[in-house]
Amino acid sequence: MRLSDETAVHNLGLESFGGGANIVAVDALDGKVVRIRPVHFDRDYTPEELNYWRLTGRNGVEFEPGMKSYTPPFPLVYKCRTYSPNRIPYPLKRIDWDPQGERHPETRGTSKYVRISWDEATRIIADEIVRVQGEYGPHAILCQGDGHGESKAIHTPHGCMTRLLDLCGGYVMQARNPDSWEGWYWGAKHAWGMDPVGQNTHSTNTALDIANNCDAMLYWGCDLETNSWGWGGQQASRMAYWFDACGVQHIAVAPDCNYTAAVHADKWFPVLPNTDAALQLAIAYVWITEGTYDREYIETHSDGFDWFEYYVLGNEDGIPKTPEWAEPLCGIPAYRIKALARYWASHAVSIAHCNGGSYIRAAFSHEPARLEVYLLAMQGVGKPGRISIKFIEWILFGMSSCSPLPPSKVVPNTAACYNGPLIGEMESFVPKCLVHKALRGEQFSWYGRGTAANPRADQFEEFSFPAPGEPGIKMLWSDNPSFTTSLNGGNEFQDALRSENLEFYLVQAPWFEDDARFADIVLPICTKFEVSDFGTDNDAGQWSAVTYEKAVIDHVGEALSDWEAVQEIARALEKRGGAYENLWMRLTGGKTVEQQVEEGYAACGIPEEERDFDAFKRRGYQLIPTVEGWEGHPVGLSPFAEDPEANPLETPTGKVEFYSVPLATTWPDDDVRGPVAHWIEAGDGHDDRLSSERAKDYPFLIVSNHPRWRVHAEMDDVPWLREIPTCKVIGPDGYAYEPLWVNPLDAAKLGLADGDVAKVFNERGGVLGGVRVTERIRPGAVYMDHGANSDVIVPGLGGLDRGGAINHICPTAMSSRNANGEVTSGYLVGVEKVDVFELAARYPEQFARRGFYDSSYGADVRDHLVDAEG
Amino acid sequence: MKALIVDLAKCNGCRCCQLACKDEHCGNDWSPYALSQPMSGQFWCNVEERERGRVPVVRVAYTPVFCGHCDECPLEGAAPDCVRRSADGFVIIDPEAAHGRADLADLCPYGRVFHNVELDVPQKCTGCAHLLENGWSEPRCVDACATGALRFGDEADFAEEIARAQRGSAGFATDPGIGSHVYYLNAPKRWIAGTVADRTINEVIIGADVAIVDEAGNEVARVQTDWAGDFRYYECDQARYLVQIHARGYEPVELVADCTQADVVFDDVLVVRET
Repeated sequence: MRLSDETAVHNLGLESFGGGANIVAVDALDGKVVRIRPVHFDRDYTPEELNYWRLTGRNGVEFEPGMKSYTPPFPLVYKCRTYSPNRIPYPLKRIDWDPQGERHPETRGTSKYVRISWDEATRIIADEIVRVQGEYGPHAILCQGDGHGESKAIHTPHGCMTRLLDLCGGYVMQARNPDSWEGWYWGAKHAWGMDPVGQNTHSTNTALDIANNCDAMLYWGCDLETNSWGWGGQQASRMAYWFDACGVQHIAVAPDCNYTAAVHADKWFPVLPNTDAALQLAIAYVWITEGTYDREYIETHSDGFDWFEYYVLGNEDGIPKTPEWAEPLCGIPAYRIKALARYWASHAVSIAHCNGGSYIRAAFSHEPARLEVYLLAMQGVGKPGRISIKFIEWILFGMSSCSPLPPSKVVPNTAACYNGPLIGEMESFVPKCLVHKALRGEQFSWYGRGTAANPRADQFEEFSFPAPGEPGIKMLWSDNPSFTTSLNGGNEFQDALRSENLEFYLVQAPWFEDDARFADIVLPICTKFEVSDFGTDNDAGQWSAVTYEKAVIDHVGEALSDWEAVQEIARALEKRGGAYENLWMRLTGGKTVEQQVEEGYAACGIPEEERDFDAFKRRGYQLIPTVEGWEGHPVGLSPFAEDPEANPLETPTGKVEFYSVPLATTWPDDDVRGPVAHWIEAGDGHDDRLSSERAKDYPFLIVSNHPRWRVHAEMDDVPWLREIPTCKVIGPDGYAYEPLWVNPLDAAKLGLADGDVAKVFNERGGVLGGVRVTERIRPGAVYMDHGANSDVIVPGLGGLDRGGAINHICPTAMSSRNANGEVTSGYLVGVEKVDVFELAARYPEQFARRGFYDSSYGADVRDHLVDAEG
Repeated sequence: MKALIVDLAKCNGCRCCQLACKDEHCGNDWSPYALSQPMSGQFWCNVEERERGRVPVVRVAYTPVFCGHCDECPLEGAAPDCVRRSADGFVIIDPEAAHGRADLADLCPYGRVFHNVELDVPQKCTGCAHLLENGWSEPRCVDACATGALRFGDEADFAEEIARAQRGSAGFATDPGIGSHVYYLNAPKRWIAGTVADRTINEVIIGADVAIVDEAGNEVARVQTDWAGDFRYYECDQARYLVQIHARGYEPVELVADCTQADVVFDDVLVVRET
């Protein structure tokens, strides 16, 4: 029996940026993908060749890397993405957008599309680039070429266009905000350094330390059973089970019983969304008043503690930050706060993170992030069993010191064949969270490049846009049209896309999702398996790998890769001569894909004597053994704990800074991100406490996590995921709604039952969700993941979305006035039951236009095409 | 005969077993073992999930369910011409012979046979016989399990596990007893949970005695509240219990825990000082 006729190894991590994760074997048969499965390393390697490791924790429980890849769900279903009915089949032009006449920006998002050829599409695009550059100069084109997506290097899904525009005078980059790390980036860095993202970067050998010395780990807003899936795989889950087996008490702190707490937690502290700061301050209060923090450590390892103590005890504002003060704010009874504080003070306690979630993406997220560092320091962070670790990004930005597990001897990279922009390097840019303003043609200023790759000092530099004498943005070129479902202020962004100021909006993407439906021209892009590429996997917690990612199927429909599409535009442009002369050759150097793979491999970091291109190509991947001598590496922050003078942090004083002098001197009037972390009730555009006047109209705090069954906007069209009960809720009209979790006590008050359709709303608009009445969310909070594929009934501010893209109604305002982070969770919403049939009668056209919609996979591109065939 | 060992204590609910099964069979025709499975709606392997408890003691019980390739498979008795046994003993529905036999889908007491309306054929797990007979050592579901919750092999090699396993079904379902070869370890029992505190001083009570007493009046367990004032007892049957809380210096408290339908999580028990 023929099970396959061709096999390749691809990494199906969804980080993009030239990185990679989740290597799998892909079997094809007769030109079709038939099977995607874990890679069995033992068929190609012996443990000795890989310098196999074993860690032994308490109770003699062992932990090993294992000899196969620990594939999470997303790679296993990936052929549904490849063959999705929502793939863009051919180049499209918005029917009422006429570059020679009326452009109708106001109908973006509602008008349909006509099929055009690649020749016509690239001719129009070239015309527009030449026109915009001629009339306004190069800094009138904004490249939205960042964010997550398929991990490819040569055919990178994001930013290929920047390579082209770089050769034509320049462009403006959308600077990717530290979206997974906002609070740590804008806050924790000012307390303990840890460039570039503010999370602990000193993690070597901490897994072994925790397994042997840690009594309890606070999984603080940490969902390793969800967030690791897109970018790392299931070694994180295995490690959590190992810690459990070693007797490390698992304490979850989050408003929701997330997917990690659901299977691991010994205790759950259901804190109200974005009120962690109150809980943290009350813990500090107990320690200070009971004298149970590590005074000696604070004296020798920190700076400015007395400022914090002064504030906590209430000397600054007359309010001691007692557990009784914190209880109504954070929703945890005072007696439980005291118990937690006392347990923490008398045991070795660590903190675990896995990015994202309410904790780190809400308003003023820099405050809980800084307070966490303060608390860690008050209990001697770096001493045995007292550390902060992550279950994700174990080799963040090439730093193997981020890994709590033994790392490989080399961290390979794809830089030599990567055709995207390098994160952090930008000649002209606009911060992602402020892109609305640029699209509307406004003049504005801000602090910091803020790309996640910049050091702490970058936050003090002021920028403005547009530069004097420049016209601002007139054209948007996006290869990541998912802003409205993934970033801040989605409805306001839709309005910005429909602004008169924006003359041309070009999208290149594989699937017709979200913002692609606002574009003037849409180019069809191909996915993994359709092109050959060079890749890496550094985040598996096993061994780093490089992959020869052989194409196993043809391009689907008329799709080209991002890199190929940009080349087609280069060919159209070079016909104009002048500045565009010989553009294709200048862009590509005439290199074939095979040449680029070979160059990528040669320069990936693996030493020459360990490289064998032919063997690499034949096998499809190469693992890099564990580094020799890993056992001797220091344990996390123990060097700092033992000798802070010799092993300083990256702060100005080299110590943990309870008081930040740079913050105090740069912004003496900033009372939201002041020199010492505080509880912030409201400010800088955010008034989202249950005690706020607004809570009378919008009485719930919403939790928006990384979605369990998507990676941001990706994977929402996979039928095998959508039929999982926690993925979608089928409404009475047969439509698959995004789940909205409501506690039974709140559901009773709202008259909601399982399967009802409800509207979640505030001043910015509303989205529909399918109700799940559940104890997995605490009373006073509701839960809806971000990233659902939108189905816009009414676009723009005050609008309505049926698809459940909750970020349509999240704030546009930044973390705080001088910190341009996103606020996409922990804000106020109202919830009310809706009659979908009544809604359908009120919006007959919008509900009827989904003729091809199928609840099993959702949106269908044909519903947006003129004369689509069934 | 082959056995599938399911350790429920290691199932993280990722559903990779369910999804790998779909990857193998949806859109792929492996005749004569099985025709292709529809893209939605059939669950040859399904992870059932059940929420347990209430705030703040909540867990999700995941139970992957499979065809047991039972010794006394009712399909064999009802339609011997439509089913056969693979080399490994898997029950295989012959897609040609079973064409039009929608009735077969109703025969499995575990609900693991599905009718493919489009192809008009009953379908179910093949044990990935097409793979096992062509070089594979385990079916897709087991290959995709990252945590070791699923193990597959000769029944004789799992004697120790089988001796302490629940056969065929897990949790609280009644096993029809037809010789399933799926064995569940660590099936959870019902729990009783609560927290004891003194609201007048906002302190939890650590070390309070909590007796769990069954309906016949026998004390089945005695636990103590921990550093958080929490008590837990995880070994309950589907029965009613009395919970007697004795905290030194406080009035005793007696509560009824009805575990017949669900786990019991009490509202925080706020004890009152003895007068």
